[in-house]
Amino acid sequence: MVKAKRKPIEEIKEAIAGYKNILNVGCGGCVSVCLAGGQREVNELNAVLKLHMSKDNVQKSIDGYTVERQCNVKFLDELDPMATKYDCIISMACGAGVQNMAERFPGIPVFPLVNTVSIGIDRNLGMYEEKCRACGHCVLGYTGGICPVTRCSKGLFNGPCGGTNNGNCEISNEVPCAWYDIYNRLKAQNRLDDILKVQPPMEWQNQTPRTIIQEPYENRYRA
Amino acid sequence: MFRKKNTAGVDSDAIREILDEKKTKMKLSLKACAHCTLCAESCFLFMGRDKDPKYMPSYKFINSIGVLYKNKGNVDKLDLGEIRDIVWERCVLCTRCYCPMGIDIPEMIALARRVCRSQGVYPRYDQE
Repeated sequence: MVKAKRKPIEEIKEAIAGYKNILNVGCGGCVSVCLAGGQREVNELNAVLKLHMSKDNVQKSIDGYTVERQCNVKFLDELDPMATKYDCIISMACGAGVQNMAERFPGIPVFPLVNTVSIGIDRNLGMYEEKCRACGHCVLGYTGGICPVTRCSKGLFNGPCGGTNNGNCEISNEVPCAWYDIYNRLKAQNRLDDILKVQPPMEWQNQTPRTIIQEPYENRYRA
Repeated sequence: MFRKKNTAGVDSDAIREILDEKKTKMKLSLKACAHCTLCAESCFLFMGRDKDPKYMPSYKFINSIGVLYKNKGNVDKLDLGEIRDIVWERCVLCTRCYCPMGIDIPEMIALARRVCRSQGVYPRYDQE
């Protein structure tokens, strides 16, 4: 799932400085699961902001509301009757949700409250580890299920660099070398041949927003 | 079985206000359900749980938003807790369920979730 982290309170205060009536919208999807932007976090943040405002002697009205998913326009409909009453909307959703909200209400400024960090896994309560950067060209099949784009500091596709250091990365002894792990896993599975094939470089340049259409729906949307 | 409701901490007026917003459509949807069970196989949770009828989309909306309308919003925390378990634990709101009668099942589940949220009843991922 998408993982996010709340922005520093000072950055949030700066974003809403010029607005009086503010609606804080949470999202019941991924950001709720990673404890960054669900209903609980909306309530908490609003309480913190109100405390700051009273301390700074600033008059603002901040309401909270949580929709089921900000990345699906269907769930934004319920904001229609209330959205226009506010000067701005602050959104606790991921980047996709914030953009969907801004598209849905083009006349109202929308500000993000979280930084969308990664696609990751739940390691523990409140601890999430990045596992995927949605590069659009998955190579996990030949790297033993370890992503070189995410795990290797240089995102190398064809073996480690000269900086691999007894299983660690040259950037830090705390960071394991992805290619060392890939080698060991494939060796244990007797699949070392997989990394003998040279993989072409990723086309990072000239990327445009990727919209996917699943195969059974191609006729519907590409007609 | 009849159970005396303890409505402390529940704002029934606020619930009714939400229910009234979509009353016509929701009542029609609840009435239109022919119990044909065709929605069942469109739910991956139903299919993935050995076709447990409690995961059937029709079961889920009848026992959540259906209960709320039937009781005209007069529910207690226990009822809301049961509804929460249905609309969050047994539905991920993937919006893939299909109804040959054209019932918008995700909209019904989303409305039940909205009612729960309005009463502070929602999943707490920090308490698992």
